[in-house]
Amino acid sequence: MHALIQGVLLGVLTGGVYALMASGQTLIFGIMKVINLAQGAMVILAAYLAYQLFVSFGVDPFLAIPVTTALMFALGVGVQVAFLRPLRREDKVELSLLVTFAVALLIEGGMSVTWKTTHRSINTGYANDSWTLFGYQITVVRFWAFVLSLAALGVLVLLLHRTRFGRAVRATVQNPDAALLLGVDAQRVSALGFGLGAATAAAAGSIYGLLYPFNSGSHYDLISRLLSIVVLGGMGSIGGAVVAAVIVSTSSAVVASTVSPAWSEMTFFVILILVLLIRPQGLFGTVGRGAI
Amino acid sequence: MALRNRLRRAVLVGALLALAGTGCSATANKTDTGTKAPLVIGASISLTGDFADPGKAVKAGYELWANTVNAKGGLLGRQVQLKIVDDTSSPDQVLTNYQNLINKDKVDLVVGPFSSLLTIPASQVAKRYGYAFLEPAGGGPKVFEQKLDNLFFVQPAPVVKQGDVFADWVLSLPAASRPKTAAYTELDDPFATPIAENIRTRFEAAGIRTVYKQVYPAETQDYSPIMAKVAAAKPDVLVGGTQSEDAYGQVKSLVQLKFSPPLLFLSNGANSPVEFPDKVGAANTQGIMSSGDWFPGSTAPGSAEFATAYVKAYGGTVDGIDNTSAEAYAVGQVLEAVAKKTGKLDNATIIATLHQGSWPTLLGDLSWDATGAPSGSFHLVQWQGGKLVPGFPVATAAGHTPVFPKPAWGG
Repeated sequence: MHALIQGVLLGVLTGGVYALMASGQTLIFGIMKVINLAQGAMVILAAYLAYQLFVSFGVDPFLAIPVTTALMFALGVGVQVAFLRPLRREDKVELSLLVTFAVALLIEGGMSVTWKTTHRSINTGYANDSWTLFGYQITVVRFWAFVLSLAALGVLVLLLHRTRFGRAVRATVQNPDAALLLGVDAQRVSALGFGLGAATAAAAGSIYGLLYPFNSGSHYDLISRLLSIVVLGGMGSIGGAVVAAVIVSTSSAVVASTVSPAWSEMTFFVILILVLLIRPQGLFGTVGRGAI
Repeated sequence: MALRNRLRRAVLVGALLALAGTGCSATANKTDTGTKAPLVIGASISLTGDFADPGKAVKAGYELWANTVNAKGGLLGRQVQLKIVDDTSSPDQVLTNYQNLINKDKVDLVVGPFSSLLTIPASQVAKRYGYAFLEPAGGGPKVFEQKLDNLFFVQPAPVVKQGDVFADWVLSLPAASRPKTAAYTELDDPFATPIAENIRTRFEAAGIRTVYKQVYPAETQDYSPIMAKVAAAKPDVLVGGTQSEDAYGQVKSLVQLKFSPPLLFLSNGANSPVEFPDKVGAANTQGIMSSGDWFPGSTAPGSAEFATAYVKAYGGTVDGIDNTSAEAYAVGQVLEAVAKKTGKLDNATIIATLHQGSWPTLLGDLSWDATGAPSGSFHLVQWQGGKLVPGFPVATAAGHTPVFPKPAWGG
């Protein structure tokens, strides 16, 4: 029982971080119908940026988030304008898979050259601190990572629901043609939307670097998890991504602590397949029209 | 179409050349003529790809040795000249590289690459052409299963026996102070699981009860669920069959769970003098044990000379020297010793000579069985006061003794 509850605690706290990464992924899909295979690489790139800021200037990874977010937002907009916008053919959705994969490889190569292939981790003074609560251990880093992920998700939701830009994004997601007719600049929304997706990757990257060691190849594991979360939650649904992220990490943590760590990854894919058999559009996905 | 034809022709020509190459040089095994031409030693090393970092450490070790020996007048009066090519960490490329080094460049000797994965194909090429194959970094069981008589793994013991020295030490303790219960956490990896399993077999035979054992997959990120179970089982000793990141992960989780086992042995990762304290926090290293073949302050032959030359050539501190460089340097030391003993340095002599006797290096005295597996043992090392010091066997411990029980975390 103790192991079970400890597993749930760990899973929920970790789930918040994955929710943040996946929200960017699902947002990009919602707006442009682009499956961004570079999202994982962007998370790792942001983790490296946070690492470098910490090592060179002693900047706390949590405080580095505004800086990395701004940089990654710019990078996201740049990638969209340079690589995705020129795709005008009928099969641009399929092509975008190749393009974003190429971007992922490009980022990976750049990181290998800059930071080499050894694993890095951001070791702050509080990295190993934990609180004991009714006999359960809650690590300080994980707790704050969870709180910050929730805050970042909150900002994202406010942005989408309380601003003119957000309205344009949601309109584009629901009906791109109608949005275009009403004067929404689809190109601009796409570029900013991609930037926003990259910005969530940046926030999540700082936190990821605090929690786990990473190297330039870490993005492969990450992207397979993120894609699964997005599919499980329903492509394009931010709420779905959050719920799916928590389900994913809780189920793997619980299985790791009660059965065996060897089965933990497996469990999650079993859940994914079961959900897809019953609800092919994912937990919160819609058939036909999009919604965020 | 023209392009395709050209390609086809290129492939054909390439194949013919390769055939011609193999035909010509199968007998072109060079012997030392005693002239003062440089002694060319070829090596394929991973300068890019997955093994780029350890590969560069191997390169640093080889080059340091070559410079040191050249400063002393070379080997048998011949200057040592290294021919190093990049294999991009690929087993196919490493094969091509050694074929080229032997057939095209006609190097006098070859030495090994980094990792068992690359050592296996490389050693087979060397065997085919009658070249001796001294290698610093291919110690997995599959390397010795090849039963090659030209291969010599230049480390004190095969990988799977790295941890045996910990069992040696524990079982050397008086029965009353030995641990009674043990837990084992093992990475599912041919270079990690067997190390811990060897220790477990010996501990169980000696009556140390196993209270928990868990093998975890390489993709494990969170060690808290595993370590929570270790903490609940309260073992006297925790043996981790670890590689690197998982060692740091295990320690971090133990610290977070506030459980400090009285004895903690981690097969790898904890023996990394710079990275380990950096990853887990220097204060948390106190009392943790591991095993190693070279450590700063070692009194083995040539060790001090190596350490000084390393810092002079590459900067940094003695504590930051990668063991891999020491192992590569030892390869050179062995060649030097063969030259000194026999006055010759041809491949047949090296192969015949190294199967007998023991050979002093900075890793200690090395000797090999018929398959090239070394028959010595590693040193038990322990973190004391922020430094990695030897603790066992007593003869090489430079006066240090292992400290136990391990203090609580942070002290």
